Amino acid sequence: MKAELLKGHLDALLLAALESGPRHGYAVMEALRESTGGQLDLPTGTIYPALHRLEAAGLIAGSWSVVGGRRRRCYVLTEAGRKALSGRRADWRDFAAVISAALEGAPWPSTA
Amino acid sequence: MAEHRLITAYRDDLLAQLPAHLADEVSDGLADAQEKYIGQGLNPDQAASAAIAEFGNARMVVDGFRRACPAWRAARALIVTGPVVGGWWAAALIADRAWDWPIPMAVRLLVGVMLAGSVLLLVASARARRYQQVRRAGLAGCLGLAVLDACVITTAVLLGPNLRWLLVVAVCVSAVRLTFVVGGLRRLVSQPGV
Repeated sequence: MKAELLKGHLDALLLAALESGPRHGYAVMEALRESTGGQLDLPTGTIYPALHRLEAAGLIAGSWSVVGGRRRRCYVLTEAGRKALSGRRADWRDFAAVISAALEGAPWPSTA
Repeated sequence: MAEHRLITAYRDDLLAQLPAHLADEVSDGLADAQEKYIGQGLNPDQAASAAIAEFGNARMVVDGFRRACPAWRAARALIVTGPVVGGWWAAALIADRAWDWPIPMAVRLLVGVMLAGSVLLLVASARARRYQQVRRAGLAGCLGLAVLDACVITTAVLLGPNLRWLLVVAVCVSAVRLTFVVGGLRRLVSQPGV
């Protein structure tokens, strides 16, 4: 998938990857890959800085632990993050319905 | 399992350019990726190489953090808008014959040195490769520019003999920039790890 298509959606994707529970950075990358059948393969240099940005914004919370002798930082959705994800999902549904209507002649509002 | 030499070299490369906590975090992910590939049947050497190929070289990872750093973004924004703000101030000060204002030469020189220093620090932040340099230079450059903006606003309001529209606009532009810079500084200080 072209990276420019993901612009503006990265935060929602990361929040969604953390919805089911705490994950570390690589697990977030893997979760996005698996949930999209490998279509979303975001670079490391995008994922980790974005996680830090979301943490600074209070949408996720990070904590350190030691796993297998290595320091690991895991992230979990905060309440603000859950609300933000819910809002992004609603925005996306509206957006997708509008664009589908324009591109494919689908009825709007979507009845699907 | 002992860390593979390729993973160690990658971590050292990151440590040379990123704060330790960021290097640790990425290195942990890299080691996790290596374990995944070993689980898929690759030997440790192949698995380490595959993990590094998946992560991309350390330069790309560092660039990602650099571009996300508030100091880098603020420095670039100030460098881009600086000539417009500076040009406007120059026009306003010339129109107001600012050289006649009762400001001691030492203060004028100090302002000039601070301006040059702040600009150099912002350029250094925007061009630096190491994350810590990006952050420190950006922080210092933003701070210098905030102090300068506050000084020129105060000076223009107190000493400007008649606030012509050019000077009023310059004061407003600097006030907007000051608000932006102070907001950026607050983010930088409140996010010591980013």
